[in-house]
Amino acid sequence: MIALLLLGLYSWFSGQIQVAELFTIRRASNLKRFLTQDAMPKPLRNLAEGESGFAALMQWSSDLWNDFGLLALTTTFWISILAMVLAGAYAMLTSPLGARTLMHEDPFVGAQRGLPWRIASASVRGMAIFLRAIPEYIWAFLLISMLGPSAWPAVLALAIHNAGIMSRLGADTIENLPPQSLRALRLLGGTRSQVVIGGVFSMVLPRFLLFFFYRFETCVREATILGMLGVFSLGYWVDDSRSRGRYDEMLYLIALGALLVLLADLVSWFARSLVRDAGTSTNTKFKDPAESSRGD
Amino acid sequence: MSQAAYFQVEQVSFSIAETKILKEISLEIGAGEQVAMIGPSGAGKTSLLRVLCGGVTPNSGTVKLDGETYLKNGAQGGPSLRSLRSKVGFVHQDHALVPNLRVVQNVVAGKFGQRGFWNSLRSLIQPVQRDQEEVFALLERVGIGEKMFHRVDSLSGGQQQRAAIARALFQHPEALLADEPVASVDPARAQAVLNLLISISRERGLTLAVSLHDPSLALDLFPRVIGLREGRVHFDLPSCQVSEKMLGELYRLEE
Repeated sequence: MIALLLLGLYSWFSGQIQVAELFTIRRASNLKRFLTQDAMPKPLRNLAEGESGFAALMQWSSDLWNDFGLLALTTTFWISILAMVLAGAYAMLTSPLGARTLMHEDPFVGAQRGLPWRIASASVRGMAIFLRAIPEYIWAFLLISMLGPSAWPAVLALAIHNAGIMSRLGADTIENLPPQSLRALRLLGGTRSQVVIGGVFSMVLPRFLLFFFYRFETCVREATILGMLGVFSLGYWVDDSRSRGRYDEMLYLIALGALLVLLADLVSWFARSLVRDAGTSTNTKFKDPAESSRGD
Repeated sequence: MSQAAYFQVEQVSFSIAETKILKEISLEIGAGEQVAMIGPSGAGKTSLLRVLCGGVTPNSGTVKLDGETYLKNGAQGGPSLRSLRSKVGFVHQDHALVPNLRVVQNVVAGKFGQRGFWNSLRSLIQPVQRDQEEVFALLERVGIGEKMFHRVDSLSGGQQQRAAIARALFQHPEALLADEPVASVDPARAQAVLNLLISISRERGLTLAVSLHDPSLALDLFPRVIGLREGRVHFDLPSCQVSEKMLGELYRLEE
């Protein structure tokens, strides 16, 4: 706290940032013009007598939606989905290999962990660190120069970065599982892979989905921004509107972006509650032998 | 001993770090025999059961299972640990089921030791009809047939324990081990659970070894009682020969 306070005071007195810059007359009038003129949707600026502002606004927004709003929104959405599916698949395959509790001669039972197993988990974790250490913007920048402008550089950049994050989070989650149930599966003769399918998978899934959708939400926001590098996502159109001085359209697109994040959050909530409650209701796809045997 | 020995433990020592848990223990448990292990906390009851099921590698000594040596002087040998483990059913103190799977999925996991990966995966997704019928029969036997398709975390502690017993039985084990099966139930239910384990073992000819805190339950229900104290066998007698004095010494607090 004190360090933060000192840092704030330093930036105040260092002369780099001057508070007065925020409050000059010129800036104030700029701000006023932005809010009342530039940012005001075009049809509302010079409304004729008796004309319905609402109808004009709806017409304006539906035109924008048809021109590029829908396209920008769906492009952003599909970039994030595809990126997260790739990242999720990588993480599902590698996180058991990065979990030190599983990478063991006799997982959850044995005491010593041999060198080959240490090397295996360390290299999977090392790979995850490498993938996520490079920011998605740098990946996108590199990939655009290799692949040219399309949605793929954005998809791959987000996939690579998030694969690293999800792989690490998955491995950590597996390591933090309560070991009793998994040890029991070992003690009845289960192999490492049987312990994964019979216990680890179902115990990790709710937490894994939580991370997946959280990162998906982040991806939506980042896919938006990656548009500024030339991919046709929301960011591209935001940048385009700004450069043409159409601040009303720019704000419209920003609002669409916020809406998309909200939607992603809703989807995430729905999927997680589905997993959490799976199997708690009594209806079942299995044929219940209790029914048939009571009949005879 | 009249029966052939199923478990043979010779001079087994086991320590965690510097703490000696088991000190040169030797004992035999005959095939089909029913044994209770009693003793104060920290006497080594759980560790001894773990040695019997291949869940702990002792530092020294020999362990034989059905005449086959699988541990000799601390090194593994003979039949693979996996096949050994699948022959011995273990009911853990905390039941150790997978909480967010259904009871049927937990019980079919009992056959992991005898099945390959794809067969196991298939049985978890949709068990074949024969498996379903066997699981249901086992669950009926332990008294929770109607819970077959319920999620484990919706079951009470007692029901979870019965599911854990069903999982151990689905292994088609030769021996059944239970670690403190009555640690968290009231006296009436404790008696019921132990009677269930005893009668099931009799029906199927299983060797049964149970660790218990409560000596009176052990003496009432089991023909043979092993008293463990500080990692050693304090007494190993038919229950009718165990005296009050012996129990007093077994549970005596150090000054």
